[in-house]
Amino acid sequence: MSAESISVIKLRGLLLVTVPADPDDRTVSALQERVLEAMAEHESGGLVLDISTVQTLDSFFARTVVETVQMVSLMGGRTVLAGMRANVAVTVTQLGLSMGNTLTALDVDRAIDMLNAEASKGLRV
Amino acid sequence: MNDLQQGEFPIESENDIVSARRLVRNAAVAAGFGLTDVTRIVTAASELTRNIYVHAKSGVMRWRFLKSESKVGLELTFEDSGLGIPNVAKAMEAGYSTGNGLGMGLPGAKRLTDEMTVHSEVGKGTTVVVRKWLTK
Repeated sequence: MSAESISVIKLRGLLLVTVPADPDDRTVSALQERVLEAMAEHESGGLVLDISTVQTLDSFFARTVVETVQMVSLMGGRTVLAGMRANVAVTVTQLGLSMGNTLTALDVDRAIDMLNAEASKGLRV
Repeated sequence: MNDLQQGEFPIESENDIVSARRLVRNAAVAAGFGLTDVTRIVTAASELTRNIYVHAKSGVMRWRFLKSESKVGLELTFEDSGLGIPNVAKAMEAGYSTGNGLGMGLPGAKRLTDEMTVHSEVGKGTTVVVRKWLTK
């Protein structure tokens, strides 16, 4: 899985990033960079990280995701982590990882609804 | 000779972590583990192969099926000739890291598997063995 395969889609004022299923560490790091660049470039206030195909979320990967959420937050954006599989949720929890205060949603649809609902409340999401 | 039931794989580059995960996934599925256990085993393998790469630069992962009269399982061995761990008990504590990590590797891998042993000698290397049993 190479860094080029990271897809960043602009959708209704938000950015939708599909995380590759089984990325190497370099791709995970590249993902963070791509996301931050895209947030700045598109002046987007919201980010959906679609992790529905991710089968293994180990400590390095999880840490990078949490870091990315914090970085996006510093840039004034909100992130919703969408589609974590049940088996991945079990494993991440037993591994002892905390995803911090990261917003989560069952799927991309609901993640977009969450971000749009906040935007319509007058908050800058 | 590698097959699903046993084999070994050298860990020499970052990309080998991904390959090791795939090998372990295939072996765990072939051993009959369910999806959540497969994910636990693969995640533990990911932590332990990364430990090899980060702390010792290179090493080897071995896997083999375990069979007894009452149960079957999968054993994974992670061996390196790196600097070794001066204080294994400390390394088993969550949040303790000598590298740049979260300190989740060893304690996390222990929680995700049924048995774990760590043998380490300073200056000689480290061997970590984990086992996961399939309860029938």
